[in-house]
Amino acid sequence: MNFEWTDEQQAFRRKLVDFLAANLPEDWEEFSKHGPASPALTEFARGFCRKLAENGMLFPHWPKDIGGEGLGPWEQQILAEVMWEYGEPRGGQYMNVNWIGPTMLKYGTEAQKAKYLPQISAGEMLWCQGFSEPNSGSDLASLRTRAELEGDHYKVNGQKIWTSYAGLADTCFLLTRTSDDRKKGITILLVPMDTPGITVRQIPSLIGEGDIHEVFFDDVIVPVGQRFGEEGQAWEIIGYSLTNERLGIPRYHLAREALDRAVGILKANGEFTRETVKAEAARCAALCEAARTAIYAIVQKRVDGGTVGPESSSARYATVQAERAVSEFVVEYVPEALAGQSAFLQMHHQRGIVAGIASGAAEIQLNIIASDVLQLPREPR
Amino acid sequence: MLLSLSEDQTQILDFIDSLTRPYAAVPMHDVSFALTSDALDAELVEGGFLDVMAMEELGAVTAALVVEKLARLPFAVEAAASALVRPLLDPELPRPLCLVEEGSLRKPVRFLKPGATVVVVGEGSVRSFTAGEEHVRSAGDEVLYGYPVAFLTGVPAETRSHDVTSERLLTAWRGALAAEAAGLLAAALASVTTYVGERKQFGRPIATFQALRHRLAEIQVATNGVYWLALRAAMTGTAGDAALAALHAQEAAKRVGYDFHQFLGAMGMTLEHPLHLWTYRLKLLTAELGGRGAQAVAAADAIWGD
Ligand SMILES: Cc1cc2nc3c(=O)[nH]c(=O)nc-3n(C[C@H](O)[C@H](O)[C@H](O)COP(=O)(O)OP(=O)(O)OC[C@H]3O[C@@H](n4cnc5c(N)ncnc54)[C@H](O)[C@@H]3O)c2cc1C
Repeated sequence: MNFEWTDEQQAFRRKLVDFLAANLPEDWEEFSKHGPASPALTEFARGFCRKLAENGMLFPHWPKDIGGEGLGPWEQQILAEVMWEYGEPRGGQYMNVNWIGPTMLKYGTEAQKAKYLPQISAGEMLWCQGFSEPNSGSDLASLRTRAELEGDHYKVNGQKIWTSYAGLADTCFLLTRTSDDRKKGITILLVPMDTPGITVRQIPSLIGEGDIHEVFFDDVIVPVGQRFGEEGQAWEIIGYSLTNERLGIPRYHLAREALDRAVGILKANGEFTRETVKAEAARCAALCEAARTAIYAIVQKRVDGGTVGPESSSARYATVQAERAVSEFVVEYVPEALAGQSAFLQMHHQRGIVAGIASGAAEIQLNIIASDVLQLPREPR
Repeated sequence: MLLSLSEDQTQILDFIDSLTRPYAAVPMHDVSFALTSDALDAELVEGGFLDVMAMEELGAVTAALVVEKLARLPFAVEAAASALVRPLLDPELPRPLCLVEEGSLRKPVRFLKPGATVVVVGEGSVRSFTAGEEHVRSAGDEVLYGYPVAFLTGVPAETRSHDVTSERLLTAWRGALAAEAAGLLAAALASVTTYVGERKQFGRPIATFQALRHRLAEIQVATNGVYWLALRAAMTGTAGDAALAALHAQEAAKRVGYDFHQFLGAMGMTLEHPLHLWTYRLKLLTAELGGRGAQAVAAADAIWGD
């Protein structure tokens, strides 16, 4: 067992950091405050991801024959840490790395892989995730957006909400209902966002511009070839996607960086002397590091070729606790940060506060831990 | 980065499993506050399980794994100090090893008895002595903790000094505390999980009530965190990692004391259910080294100090 990065892994991290130093604009910290979904950052990310791809840094952990460098899950984690720490210059394309790419690789048809993988690995595709609906959040299996098969195409009608990146995305990874058989009646369609009948409305939010949207589908025609997986296979597929998504964003890493910066500000002002403040900071650090090690244990499982199971919810919950503690620490002891005095801490706060909601509510993670990690008998329905 | 267990480590844990099988359950009709077994202790010594830290291919992480594993037993074994602290002082020091902070004689000392090695950690020195009858005051029958404890009457004038800094020793002590707490938390959690899955009220297992499920799930998250932070502290040996691990352990230990017993209802107030054998060890661990506030300040100084 070894908790230290190898020389190669350290060199890989340095290479990424150097690349960022050379390729991010000088006012990056201020710029990235807009959030990964803002039009400005999305636009920047298109060029930036292409450059990352050209330099083998977009999918370094993928096999070489599909556009990667043949590195492993640890490098994938390092990549995620560095990018998220720097305010996610890949914009919404981080989703391609975290869950869309892996899902496409595992479940896509040869034709779909041939169509999408080259664009994904070249850094040229922005997706959005059409899962949640106004009446189907945590209870995702109750979703109602309907897809009726009519000959060689589906006709889609319904509404999605909270869809990140929808305003600028090329394609939607859309969950639709094709039969009334709850989980077994859900089907995935890959829908170009410029298809007639799709309307997107942005929802102003606490977390930065452009992040969340409503998407309306009005008699939207989708060719059968755009179905992903079989009819009714969505639940199985998104189980895989969501496990990857849950672990995808290394929030513990940015939270720890934010904590260190907050402590730095307190020290510079001679205020890091009170034991109550120190103790609070240490508690935050313990939560960040506990989350980090819980995630690393899962990365190790991937390295060893194991399947990641409900422990991903446990690690995710640990991350939510870390995010929350650090956000609260900053507000309590460095309140000026959220009044425009620290672009970095403000960026962290706006990204941190969604940790317990986006990719599934924290309480849902607790339900999963109770049933599937602790194996307690399930709640009656 | 490599977080999987080596073959040697897996094998050692398997050995411990088979060796401790006779001690995995509480003897029938036993209602002690603390359970100990000289035979178990002797078997562990015999098998060299408390000496793995000094073995090159095994090291401190293996020692932490051993400590964590042994803490899961309902029997209290003096393993943490022997396996993770003694190698820094002198691997031949007689057991049990009792760690005390200079100047805190009023506190109960775990495993203290005549013949034990008492290690006194002061501001700038680490000293030890073998406890004689005169150094030990029995705590009588009033002890609620899941450890055998006694009081130290004083430190003799003649002690042996050790060539190790107090900081280094405290770091090892904190790591040992975290590894032991990880095992205690895991065992207590398993015990409570079994109970609430079987106990029915309102026509259904009480484990199906979300008020319990969520708190147990949060404890699972904390237990997992303590486990990994303890292993990381053992591996890196840094003051910061050890203090964070001990802090997280004491936070978790404090948290579970109430919840676990609460979830057992009145059964959790009896000595017939073994839960207290883990939770009342955790309780005493929350008091160690000045409590979690002291660990937190130590961690902050180690991480952000100048
Ligand atoms: C920033 C952000 C980005 C998002 N991006 C996307 C996206 O791109 N695509 C997409 O499809 N969705 C997206 N979402 C939506 C997200 O997946 C949902 O918000 C989430 O699943 C929770 O659903 P809800 O908001 O409807 O909350 P609800 O389901 O209404 O739940 C509200 C609260 O009730 C409690 N609760 C609910 N059910 C239970 C239960 N069974 N047990 C205990 N407590 C419960 C929890 O505390 C929960 O937080 C995003 C959300 C955010 C905040």
